[in-house]
Amino acid sequence: MKAVIKSEGLSKYYGKGGEIRAVDGLDLEVYEGETFGLLGPNGAGKTTVVRLLNGIIKPTSGTATVKEFDILEQENNVKRVTGMLAESPGLYDKLSGYEFLEFMGALYDVPGEILKERIDELLKLFGLHDRRDHLIEGYSSGMKQKLLIAAALIHDPPILFLDEPTSTLDPRASHMVKELIEELADTAGKTIFMCSHLLPVVEELCDRIGIINRGKLVAVGTVEEIIDKSGKQTLEEAFIALTGGMVESELLAWREQIVQP
Amino acid sequence: MSSPKWLVVARNEYRVYTSRIRRIRPHFPYLMVGLLAIYVAFIAPAVIGLFIDDLLAFFLSQVAVAMVQILLFMIFVYFTILPITYTLKDTQTELLELFLAAPIKPSDVLLGEFLGQMPFYAIAVTVIAGLFTAILAPLGLDMAQMAMIIMIFAVTFFSAQWIGTVIAALLRTRLGKTARGRDFGKALALVMAFPMIALMYATMGGGLLEALADPGTSGMVKTALGWLPSSWGAEVIVGFASNPGNIGAVGLETLTRFGGLVAFFVAALWVGLKAANRAYSIEPTTFIASRAMPDGAFYKTVKRLGGGGSFGTLLVSVFKDYGRRLENLSKIAYVVGLLVLMNVFLGDPEHPQYMVLEVAPLIFSVLAVFVVGEVTLRGKEGLFIYRKAPSGVGRLVKARLLHGLLVLVPITVAVTAVRTMLIPNVTYASLLTNIGITVLIVAANVVLALGLSLLNPAFTAKSGKFNVNAMIAPQLGFVILIISRSNWGLYIPLIWFVGIVFLYLGIRKLSRIE
Repeated sequence: MKAVIKSEGLSKYYGKGGEIRAVDGLDLEVYEGETFGLLGPNGAGKTTVVRLLNGIIKPTSGTATVKEFDILEQENNVKRVTGMLAESPGLYDKLSGYEFLEFMGALYDVPGEILKERIDELLKLFGLHDRRDHLIEGYSSGMKQKLLIAAALIHDPPILFLDEPTSTLDPRASHMVKELIEELADTAGKTIFMCSHLLPVVEELCDRIGIINRGKLVAVGTVEEIIDKSGKQTLEEAFIALTGGMVESELLAWREQIVQP
Repeated sequence: MSSPKWLVVARNEYRVYTSRIRRIRPHFPYLMVGLLAIYVAFIAPAVIGLFIDDLLAFFLSQVAVAMVQILLFMIFVYFTILPITYTLKDTQTELLELFLAAPIKPSDVLLGEFLGQMPFYAIAVTVIAGLFTAILAPLGLDMAQMAMIIMIFAVTFFSAQWIGTVIAALLRTRLGKTARGRDFGKALALVMAFPMIALMYATMGGGLLEALADPGTSGMVKTALGWLPSSWGAEVIVGFASNPGNIGAVGLETLTRFGGLVAFFVAALWVGLKAANRAYSIEPTTFIASRAMPDGAFYKTVKRLGGGGSFGTLLVSVFKDYGRRLENLSKIAYVVGLLVLMNVFLGDPEHPQYMVLEVAPLIFSVLAVFVVGEVTLRGKEGLFIYRKAPSGVGRLVKARLLHGLLVLVPITVAVTAVRTMLIPNVTYASLLTNIGITVLIVAANVVLALGLSLLNPAFTAKSGKFNVNAMIAPQLGFVILIISRSNWGLYIPLIWFVGIVFLYLGIRKLSRIE
């Protein structure tokens, strides 16, 4: 299998003397056409990995290639072959949904004749066509998320980075996005790199997963492989075992401090 | 072939700025050009025609160069700080990720942002240039001179706008990543206008024109401002006024000054584009999170003033949330500073009490809205926390009132005392009387401001209602002042009555907010 995302010792340190290790020596390969899920607790470094691989921030050390383009030397080519849904992205509230996609298409050099048709199709796909001329400020959070996914797809990139793609969606929209991800991977042959806290979503969609904790990749493999290696029964248990969690006996400790009236 | 990226960004910026008028967006440029043509051809000459003799005499006088230099400097500073304050008021870095993930150079983003805003600045440039050409046309300036004046204005002010855009982008990246930085930005946005206000007041009532009539002062101003690019066009404009229809008479001066301006603009453009990489980055600037210190003597005193217990804790929480926002502290500094400037430049030495008893309480009514208007500013959810708690609404109103009084009364006492003591031969009795009167009025204004803020709640800092309330409060005070004819025996009960009525209505509204 051909690796389309390949990182070697990719690191990003912050603070004086680099004491904050957001990503620490990441060695990772993601193969063409696969759906890869990166799991990790809050602050583990998932978003930093996505930003590094998209050329948004520069690594402290190490390197990576995306579709054989070096993230440091060929930053613009990397950006052209990837689509990204950020975790907390910005939107132009004062633009309509159509205008926003038109802008994003122009940023990624989608030719005008294709762009109009593609915007219409994407808006229909995400059920936003009726609201195409409404300003984004009036959209619900789910509608905004759908618009952002549409924006990530606007230039039809071979590789998609999706940071929490379903977290703000209602069950119906979430189901649609999951099916879309499956279709994009299976039919359109896209490579999908997704980050999520929702373990069932990752289990359902991803061919392989990686678990990152405090900047270090602590496990990579299929869901079954990770469960087996951790000696647990479920992915949730494996995830907690690998990243640390609270002991059940501690859960009600706070009640002991209550002064009864 | 795809459009240049800076054009894509510029078009997008233009769309964002014209979103409110998007129904007429395709016609907007034609409409604007038409309106501006009417303004330049008819309105500006008609308005200027009313004062033309005085204005012509001014342009041919000793003070002209210095005064035009000051005017251009003020407009230059205004054009520079406008994009900065606009950005600082609402520093958002989320959109940066959108650009950074796309194949676009930071310099293209910066240039696009500048060009997207340019049409709106061009409107202002046309309005200002139209006034100047209307003044100078009767002197017999030829087309070349007129065109040169317009170009001077365009190059000067677009340079200012560019500098402002670059600084705004750098500050956005620097400050927008942390809550503390965003708060600092908002605080800065407010006080940045201060030098402009000082200069404006100095021009209005500070005897600036009279001072400039003195050749020594005038020469000093010319030398000082002459170094700034904003001034380089002033001498050319005044030179044209002295040599109408004869551009050759000031040819060398025109060439060097205008050439200097263009060179400055090109240099600013080059430096700005070079700095663009620093202006578009989402690398964290700090990992130091703000920490709360243990309660010191101040909060312990506030808690005691709140009667200790749970209400005291509630009051301390309100104080902490208020005081830890630099923006709030800068609002206090802004209002007090405004009052100082008014006293320095606009005060009438023969009627010092006017500033102490009439102007100051009106200005403090704005501060009252700034302080207690916070009650709704963090959104409805903040109010629902109180509504959910037992007797929550009553406790919220009580805490906000007490908070407003504890902030405003000491400031009122200090400002009134200082200003009154500056009055020659003041007695202790009049000092105490002044303090008593202003404290009673300001306390009533706190009640009124809280009622007003609940009655017309602004749920976000962007909401125009907050500013509307800040305008209504002093206007109400002014109307009551007129009705009572500055009779304090009538004014104080009246303003208290209005304040209590507003508070009653506000509390009723608070219970109904959904």
